Amino acid sequence: MGLIQYISSRVGAYLIVLFVGITITFFLPRLMPSDPIEGYIAQMQNQAGQSMNPETIRELRASLRKLYGLEGTLIEQYVDYLERIILRFDFGPSLASYPRPVSEFIFNSLPWTLGLLGTSLVISWVIGNLIGLVAGFYHNSRWATFLETLGVILYPIPYYILALVLILLFAYIWPIFPLSTTIMPGDFSWEKINSIIYNSFLPALTLVLAGFGWNILGMKALSFANKEEGYVTFARLKGTPSRTIMFGYVFRNSILPQITALALSIGGIFNGALLTEILFSYPGLGLLMRTAIGSGDFNLLYGTIIMSIVSVATAALIIDLIYPLLDPRIRYR
Amino acid sequence: MKKSFLITVVLALFFVSVGLVSAQEMTDVGTPRNETLIFQTFDRQTQTPDQHNPLMNFAVWRGFRELGWGFLWETDTGTGESYPELAAEMPIPLNDEFTSFEVRLKEGVYWSDGEEFNADDVIFTLDAYFDLVGTSTWFGVNRITQYVSDYEKIDDYTVRIDTINPAYDFSTVLGVYTWGSAFIIVPEHVFSEVENLAEFRNTYPVTIGPYVVKEFDPNGFWQLWELREDWERSAWGFLDDDGYMPQYILYKDFGPEETRSLSFVQNAYDVDTFMSPDSIKAAQARNEYITTFSPDMPYHNMDDACGYGVLMNMQRAPLDMLEVRWALALSLDLANVGINSVNGEFVASPLPMVDTQILRPIYFEPLIPWLEEFTLPDGYQPYNANWSVEFVDALGQMGAQDLPEDPTDFGIGWWKYDPEEAANLLSSVGFTQNAEGIWLLPSGEVWDLEFVIPGDWNKVMQRVGFSIADSWRRSGINVNTVQVDNAEFGVVQNTNAERTTMLNWTNCIFNPNYLNSWNNVELEYVNNADETATNDGNQYQWANETVDQLVHESKQMETTTEEFYEIGRQIIQEFVTDMAYINIMNIPTTIPTNEYYWSGFPKRDDYYAVPYSWWSSAKEIIASIEPTGR
Repeated sequence: MGLIQYISSRVGAYLIVLFVGITITFFLPRLMPSDPIEGYIAQMQNQAGQSMNPETIRELRASLRKLYGLEGTLIEQYVDYLERIILRFDFGPSLASYPRPVSEFIFNSLPWTLGLLGTSLVISWVIGNLIGLVAGFYHNSRWATFLETLGVILYPIPYYILALVLILLFAYIWPIFPLSTTIMPGDFSWEKINSIIYNSFLPALTLVLAGFGWNILGMKALSFANKEEGYVTFARLKGTPSRTIMFGYVFRNSILPQITALALSIGGIFNGALLTEILFSYPGLGLLMRTAIGSGDFNLLYGTIIMSIVSVATAALIIDLIYPLLDPRIRYR
Repeated sequence: MKKSFLITVVLALFFVSVGLVSAQEMTDVGTPRNETLIFQTFDRQTQTPDQHNPLMNFAVWRGFRELGWGFLWETDTGTGESYPELAAEMPIPLNDEFTSFEVRLKEGVYWSDGEEFNADDVIFTLDAYFDLVGTSTWFGVNRITQYVSDYEKIDDYTVRIDTINPAYDFSTVLGVYTWGSAFIIVPEHVFSEVENLAEFRNTYPVTIGPYVVKEFDPNGFWQLWELREDWERSAWGFLDDDGYMPQYILYKDFGPEETRSLSFVQNAYDVDTFMSPDSIKAAQARNEYITTFSPDMPYHNMDDACGYGVLMNMQRAPLDMLEVRWALALSLDLANVGINSVNGEFVASPLPMVDTQILRPIYFEPLIPWLEEFTLPDGYQPYNANWSVEFVDALGQMGAQDLPEDPTDFGIGWWKYDPEEAANLLSSVGFTQNAEGIWLLPSGEVWDLEFVIPGDWNKVMQRVGFSIADSWRRSGINVNTVQVDNAEFGVVQNTNAERTTMLNWTNCIFNPNYLNSWNNVELEYVNNADETATNDGNQYQWANETVDQLVHESKQMETTTEEFYEIGRQIIQEFVTDMAYINIMNIPTTIPTNEYYWSGFPKRDDYYAVPYSWWSSAKEIIASIEPTGR
């Protein structure tokens, strides 16, 4: 298989995944018995604000159905949807916040999600892997046992509990950080960046602590296995310094599966961090997706899910394409 | 030398300490805390914080109605009576049919940009409503255009408005019924300049209320309002009688209850929204300034317009049988449900409306003798007049404190919990029980009863729903409890094919005009049991000819007359006789306040308004509270 064939087969698979994902994304919410129009009407009926006589309900229902593009058969709506998504990458207007385009909501939330999750994911990955490497390489030392224990303790703690404990400690008992996020609007300035870092520190810390336990355990197991390999023994007998063996031999061979996991996690960032966003009143894609599901806002749901599908699939494609560069043992033929 | 040095040090320390003490505490949004009244938002986060155009669906729960806008007529939430706000007086009927009205406007009310409010604003808004039919997402547009037939400006402060049908509810449809109005008047001088009103966001609106938007979070977690300099000539500046209003009002989300209660303890905000009784107690134990509506149980205000009840598909077997519906009511152990789900803090209501201080004297008390005499077809008397006394006893035995002297604070009574009579009723229509005690339909199949309840988007209803299901299960009914999202809940509520039974709060009546909720309980809106098209009316899907006739009659009546009330009582009797809706309790609105910075919130012994921050009552609260000086 030549390079071009290798790349085209991967890109072909990527496109098929996207098409199937986009199609399932269209039909799945339509199978749910949710309806954004009925949700809105019921909200108005139930909250006693005003009575709605039958004529009002009938007329409102008809005009919203037309405005939201929910008229016509399911197939007609699907064709229109494919045309919008594939040709124009346009998710249409949000149904719950008509006529505002879905893309506006996504691009408002995306920087917050990318900033928080991207930073905490990388920090957690780097620290977790370094600790795991040391714990695996020096597995007999007291420090290694301690670090491994740390990973074992942190990994299974449910995120919600961990976050609440940190909130209690650092926002209530010692009120160093705020209990809920408050960032003033306005242009970027040092003051604003400071405010973002201050408000994001605790949410990020919870994500780092929740994530790096798994990295410690994974890397520890890999590095422990690799340090027993023949090439490591040979290097040791040859008198190679310990640090060189750890980073140059063990680490390089252990890191490959961790890179795959990191790439897929980066794709997963686009799902947002719902619990973090709820607990800290932090803006992001998770809350956006939750709102879309709760209100039956199909277009907003399509937008957020498709962003996630595209991101995960693209991350997987990139890994597929660059893996031969990272691992000399893998070659296309 | 030494002495002067010592004096200098002491003075320095004194000034430093005074400076520290008097250093003004600031809010997260940079306003002085003791000048900022802070509400927990009703909806936590909004996706459209910059949408302040009331001709489209707008950011409803951010103070828009209460602070920024004004209405022709408002509602006094303490009495349920309307009063003029932008109007100079109540509407003047121009004919005997009540289809034409003269509306006189106040003079000297100004928009926040200095323009005077006048009839042009009213006429422009009505024009806009009619122009926007089919393109607006705001239900008010459809409501008003289906209500108003014609209108004209008489002079700068007078308009005439005609209605399609007799409009005895004119002041609450073009004004406020409980928390909002379908008719929101916009400034003509601003909106007439806008090319496309459907896309106009009106982000920093020109307001007619006493506050203007100062700042908001683009992500929708908070919004800050600032008092207008000329607030006294705004729509409701007249409510204030001491010349003082809070300089800033902040609506902010403080997170889920776990973190919110911590913020509340830290005095970070002043009024909460629907905090659970457990969290309130925990917060009170840590902060003496946190108070509830009443020092006695039930600690919270129970005068919401809506109640929780079980809506049934009466067109579908076996719920089409009177005996089955009554069996469900008599199998419901309300005391247990209330204790398990809302810590016993609720007001029971056996009638299909909320038992409040406004409605009790008109509809509940006159019907007590009838309830006591009421019998089912088999001669059984289902009403338990002693329910509240028994409930207080039960709470006392459980160690509850602060029990009220008057047991009817928990309601006038409810239905007996009598699974034995429920069994008799089911047996009388051919139901049987299998070896496990599960009820079987007359056909011999297990009676699977689907019961739809909200998911965690309404935790109180979720708990009440599970408790009801548990109660029915103990009586041998095989209940399948289904939790649904908000959007699905609406579908179940309005579609017969999707509904068997559901816990609902669509039955909302605040003032004695019951037509707010029952205006369409008519035969023409009843669909087939499995109809997949959504219903346009008659939420109960109840086919009762007498009620159909009574609703028709009452639409032709003045809504504040004894004759109107009497028809209401007759409709209630039909509801009970048919058990068309198993009403359960008033919505327990748990609204604790933190009085560290502000005092004078509505309390049971100072009940000038309901204590809700998201109703018209917020206006009365804002005008009445006082800074504590802390």
